[in-house]
Amino acid sequence: MTQEAGQDSVLAGCRVLDFADEKGVLCAKLLGDMGADVIKVEPPGGDHTRGFGPFVDNVPHPERSLYFWHYNTSKRGVTLSIESTAGGDLLRKLVATADVLVESYPPGYLDSLGLGYQALHRLNPALIMTSITGFGQTGPRRDYKLSDIVGQALGGMMYVNGDPDSPPVCWAGLQAYHSASYYAAIGTMCALMARDLSGSGQHVDVSIEESVCSAVEHVNSAYLYPGRMPGPRDAGRIARRQGTLHWSAGFHNARAKDGYVLMSWFGDWDTLVAWLESEGMAADLTDPKYNTDPRLRADEAPHIFEVMAEWAATHTSQELVDGAQLRRIPFAYIRAPSELLAEHHLQERGFFHQVEHPELGRSVVYPGAPYKFNGTPWRISRRAPLIGEHNSEVYGKELGLSQDNLASLAEAGVI
Amino acid sequence: MEGIGALQGVRVIDFTWVVAGPCCTAILADQGAEVIKVERRPVTAIQQAYMRQRFDFMGNLSRNKYSVGLNMADARGLEVIKRLISISDVVIENFSSRVMPNWGLDYENMTKINPDIIYVSMAGMGHTGPLKDYVTYGPTLQALSGFNLLTGFPERGPVGNSYSYADMAGGYTGAMAVLLALRHKRKTGRGQYVDLAQFEGTCALIGTPFLNYTVNGTIPQRLGNQSLNAPAACHNVYRCQGEDRWCVISVFSDAEWDAFGNVLGNPSWVKEARFATLANRIANAGELDRLVEEWTIERSPEEVMELMQGAGVAAGVVQNGEDIVARDPQLQARGYWIEGTTAEGEKGSYVGIPFKLSENPGRLRRLAPLLGEQNSHVFGELLGMSELEVAKYTEEGVFFSGLDSSDEPEL
Repeated sequence: MTQEAGQDSVLAGCRVLDFADEKGVLCAKLLGDMGADVIKVEPPGGDHTRGFGPFVDNVPHPERSLYFWHYNTSKRGVTLSIESTAGGDLLRKLVATADVLVESYPPGYLDSLGLGYQALHRLNPALIMTSITGFGQTGPRRDYKLSDIVGQALGGMMYVNGDPDSPPVCWAGLQAYHSASYYAAIGTMCALMARDLSGSGQHVDVSIEESVCSAVEHVNSAYLYPGRMPGPRDAGRIARRQGTLHWSAGFHNARAKDGYVLMSWFGDWDTLVAWLESEGMAADLTDPKYNTDPRLRADEAPHIFEVMAEWAATHTSQELVDGAQLRRIPFAYIRAPSELLAEHHLQERGFFHQVEHPELGRSVVYPGAPYKFNGTPWRISRRAPLIGEHNSEVYGKELGLSQDNLASLAEAGVI
Repeated sequence: MEGIGALQGVRVIDFTWVVAGPCCTAILADQGAEVIKVERRPVTAIQQAYMRQRFDFMGNLSRNKYSVGLNMADARGLEVIKRLISISDVVIENFSSRVMPNWGLDYENMTKINPDIIYVSMAGMGHTGPLKDYVTYGPTLQALSGFNLLTGFPERGPVGNSYSYADMAGGYTGAMAVLLALRHKRKTGRGQYVDLAQFEGTCALIGTPFLNYTVNGTIPQRLGNQSLNAPAACHNVYRCQGEDRWCVISVFSDAEWDAFGNVLGNPSWVKEARFATLANRIANAGELDRLVEEWTIERSPEEVMELMQGAGVAAGVVQNGEDIVARDPQLQARGYWIEGTTAEGEKGSYVGIPFKLSENPGRLRRLAPLLGEQNSHVFGELLGMSELEVAKYTEEGVFFSGLDSSDEPEL
């Protein structure tokens, strides 16, 4: 039977305590946007990530950080100082009600507070603890510091980015953090599946460096499997920077009259050449050698793209992309994310989501679901929390602390 | 529970090909799911790569999986697939949107075979929308979503095209989708259909530049190696001793700046007013970077990293493939590289698993399969076909394994 739309969400009833900073904050968003009851736990006064821009109207403000808004959708928020004794006790009360705890403290830190996995497991044997750190919980570099660019560098994302005569450059966006957060969410889901059979939780140890290493496609494979790679004959043991030439040799950027376009020679070669030839711009691409030895195209890609670039410069990007896609050749517009809003394809598929920000009296368009479930749709259930917004609800109503108790905890800086 | 995978008992019929799809199903196979890779005729050039050996680019993506060779153009082959679907949990593919309906395997028809099936499609643009018939690969998605344009230095052109990050992201986004659907089915008994447009998965990873546009109207720009989130300086890549050797250094706070200065031996410029505050350091980043590089150029990137890390500053060598595979002590110590040996004694490695479950760790259960290697296991043991039946189907080309002369490279 097909699933009726709008029925209960995938992770309804699954409580997640989110202590993760920028290294892993996306993990609990992935769970929350699919219905988990995520409680973001911040130090009293708010998490340091509220200081990350961009900001609404470019004015820094802890409740108006677009960074914080983006990564903390579908989460409620409480404040808690876990270093204090009273704070530790409150954390234990929370843990007793939780299915998952996500954190990104330096390895050993929670242990030093008596709040490490072993201690929490004794308290709640069903708890899944997902720890996201730069280098993992063990190993000679476990105490190294990691920022996103450091992760991209060590994991291999950077070395291959850029022109041969320029320094290496990182991928746009926080892709080391993003990759690790996705693997952390995957690991958490696997642990939930295992718990169904065993009844027990476990520790999920996520390394950001390893997450990057698992997301660099050809970089490690070129070294591991010399001579056994698709693409140019001499793919090379060490993948290197090649400007905008994709490692498969099949894609390259070009300038059209009105902007950048991604070109490709994948698809039917004769169709592509006939197109250029019809405008007298095929140069030597009509040479039958390109058909008799198919791997020659990969080997001679720089030349092929030079010929194509000259031809592309005489066209608008629309002429190129429409013409190519009609011919089943994978050209594409090279666009800014700002242009996505106008993309009909995304509009029709309902990719954009309006989220209410009642405290500002406005609603904001957010990027939407990475996947469309027909039975249990992704949704942003609420905007990111204000600082301590749900202290009363969580500590008072749900854990049963009195208003007086809450007041004195607040005064003592515990919450 | 040691040795039992977290996804023990989950059966996946895997029609995926090229990179994103196999990347997704490898994540599941590593955790113990039974992933049955279906190969069909004609065999594409890309699939040629993994048919002859277990350790190569495609082999890496096929580890822990089963492989069957089946002729989907033959009605009998189609019938066998349907029987397989009826005993499986998940069907997953990343074809263009016409392929599955052409086989009568759209979601509605699949639910007639197996009412609780989970069907995940990972088409580049999804199954609906005006661009659903676009031909897409990783680079196309990176171009359309903004990754290509936003990667690179402001004074140079966009360079977000070195490899298909979108495919790797498609892999982990897809795995998350399958796991979410599996969880729901465990709880409710109900399957569902997931239309995962890799384009949307990629757009979801752009991050804050999108909100910066919808809220502030700011058009995103290439930032080079500047920090996107936390304000920072210095925050860049610095040339070191050796050929094409670099180290990144990222300094976020005054305390880290002091530590950074100490590592350099506190040259006078470290204490100058123009670098005294974070705001000043950011404003004078160009000049700062030049001065830092005068120091790093005299040292190996490893030395720069070790000195900085010793002082509590986040720094890292810009590692190439050899650094990562052969020289990274952290990856070695954590057993990140998965080693295997074939029956013939050939040794090789696979890229590892970046998350470790303490009780049910993912691991290597079997090497990448050769094409059709598990035909008799899947058709015989799982489906209960007799040896005679399997032999007959093989002789008549409904089942096949390995390569024969009819499989000429296309590319």
